[in-house]
Amino acid sequence: MKLSGFKYLADQGVENIWKNKMMAFATFCVLLISLLLVGSSVLFYLNMNSMILGLGNQNEIAIYLDPETAQEDVDAFGEKLKSLENINTVDYISKEQAYESMQDQISRGKAIFDYIDGYDFMPDGFNATVINNDTIEDTVAQISQMEHVESVSSMPQVAEFLRELRRVVTIIAVAIIIALAAVSMIMISNTTKASVFARREEIQIMKYVGATNAFIRMPFFVEGMVTGFFAGAGAFFITWAVYRSVYRILTEQGMLMRAFGIGSIIPFDNIRLYVAFAYLLAGALIGALGSVVSTRRHLDV
Amino acid sequence: MVELQNVSVTYSSGVDALNNVSLKINDGDFAFVVGSSGAGKSTMIKLLLKEIDATSGVVTVNGYNLNKLKKRKIPEFRRTLGFVFQDFRLIPSMTVYENIAFVLRVIDAPVKYIRKRVPYVISLVGLHAKTNSYPDELSGGEKQRVAIARALVNDPQLIIADEPTGNIDPELSYEIVELLKGINDQGTTILMVTHEHDLVRHFGGRIINITDGEIVFDEVISGVTDEPLPEEELAQTMAEAAGGQAQAPSPVTSTEDALIDEVIAALTGADQGGAE
Repeated sequence: MKLSGFKYLADQGVENIWKNKMMAFATFCVLLISLLLVGSSVLFYLNMNSMILGLGNQNEIAIYLDPETAQEDVDAFGEKLKSLENINTVDYISKEQAYESMQDQISRGKAIFDYIDGYDFMPDGFNATVINNDTIEDTVAQISQMEHVESVSSMPQVAEFLRELRRVVTIIAVAIIIALAAVSMIMISNTTKASVFARREEIQIMKYVGATNAFIRMPFFVEGMVTGFFAGAGAFFITWAVYRSVYRILTEQGMLMRAFGIGSIIPFDNIRLYVAFAYLLAGALIGALGSVVSTRRHLDV
Repeated sequence: MVELQNVSVTYSSGVDALNNVSLKINDGDFAFVVGSSGAGKSTMIKLLLKEIDATSGVVTVNGYNLNKLKKRKIPEFRRTLGFVFQDFRLIPSMTVYENIAFVLRVIDAPVKYIRKRVPYVISLVGLHAKTNSYPDELSGGEKQRVAIARALVNDPQLIIADEPTGNIDPELSYEIVELLKGINDQGTTILMVTHEHDLVRHFGGRIINITDGEIVFDEVISGVTDEPLPEEELAQTMAEAAGGQAQAPSPVTSTEDALIDEVIAALTGADQGGAE
C-alpha cells in the first residue's frame, strides 16, 4: 500500500471517531472504566505487596558472638556478615552498648549491677535485616554456621505469617484482576461489536467494491486505537489524582499507620511513568484489537 | 463476459434456487434479467458477486472461474465489476465525491487520478452541483445516479444493476436506464435485473426470463416506445404463454411483433406468479 493510501485510512479512522461520536464516546467510557478497574486493582495489589515486604524488613535477626572473640575478629565478622547475599543492613552492638541496653531493660533491679564488674562478660552482637524475608530461615542457618557465633535469634513465625499473608493476598488479587479483566473484555467487546454493527452496511459496501479485509479493518483499528489511547490517558489522570490524595491522607496518619506498613506505600512519582505507559498501551491495544476482532463477522460477504 | 454452464444452486434448506442454468453474456452486451420474486434472480446475482458458490456447474465472470476463485482473490475479482443496487447502498457518512472516490482508494489509485476521474464521472451522471452533498440530501434518482457513477468510476468490464429503478419514481426510471444504455454504448457490459415490464418493453434488447430457477426465455427483441398492446391481444398472449410455459425456452416466432408478444406473455405469466 502506498503512503498516501495508508494516510487516507488513518485519517478515515480519526474522522470516523467524530462521525460516530456517540458510539466512540460509549467505547471510550467503557474502556476508561475497565482500565480504572483493572489498573486500580493492580496498584492496590502492588501496594499490599510492598507493605507486607516492608513489614518483613522490620523482622530483624539478632546475632550474638562468643564473648571471648577478639575485636579484630568481631570487625571481620561484621564485614563477612554484610557480604552475605540476603543481608540488607547490619548494625553493630558493642559489649558496652549491650550492657547499657540491659541496664535500661532491667531498670527496677539495678542493684544487681553493683555485683557485676565491667561488661566484658557481655557478647558483641549484630542486628541484621534481610532483603528477602521469605528466606530468612536459610539466612539464619547460614549465620549459625559462621565462626565465633554463639547464638542467632529471629522470629521465623513472623516471616512465615507474612509469607502466608502475601500468598493469600496474591491469590485474591490475581483472581480479582482476572475477573475484572474478563468483565472488562466482555464490556469492551460488546461495545465495539455494537459500534461495528451500526456500520455493517458500510463494511458490506466496501466488500462489494473490492476492498480487502485489511483495507476495511485499518480505519477501525486506528479508530479503536485512538479511542483507547484517550481512555488510557483519562484513566491515568484519574488514577494520579486519586492515588496522590489517598497517599497523602495515609502518610499523614503518622506512627500508628506506619506500624501497619503504610510507610511502604509506593509514592506515585516512583511509578508514574510505568502507570502512564501501561494505561496508554493497554488502552490503545485493547481498543484497536477490540474493534478489529468485532469486524470479523461482518467481513464474510 | 459472463458464462454460466449447467449451474445449479441448492440452499442448505433444500430449496433449489437455480436448476441447471446455462447462460452466456458477451462483452458489450446489455441484458435485462426478469422474473418473479423467488424465481432465482437474486441467487444469480449472488453467484456473479461470488457471495455464494454454485452447488454444481461452472460460473465464469470477466475471465475469473468463480468455482476456483480463492477467498483472498475475491477483492481483486470484484474490482472488475460495478454494482448498482435497488437501495443505492451509499455510505451515509460520505459525500457524493467521497462515495465515488472510495472505490478508487480501494484499488490504491494515485491521488491525482482520483481528483481527475471522480469529477469527470460525477459530471457524466449530471450531478456536478451535488458533489459535496451527503446521500441524505439527495433524491432517490440522484442517489441512484451516484451509485451508477460509483459503479462506473473504476472503468469496470461489467456492471450488474439489481433493480436499479425499484426505489425511484417511474419517470426517472427511464432516465436511469438511458444512463446505463449510454454506458453500454461505450463498451461496458450491463446486466440489469428488473421487474418493470414497461421498461423492458420500451428499451428492448436481450431479455432473459428466469422462472422457478430456470431460464424460460432468452432472446433479443426490439424496443417499442409508448404503444400499449390492445387489451384483447394481451389477454390472448397471456393465455398462450400460460399454455406454453412448460416448454422452456419459449419458442420464438419469426416476426418482431410476435417476439414482443412472447416476452410480454412471459412477463405477465411471471406476474401471475407474484412478481414484486
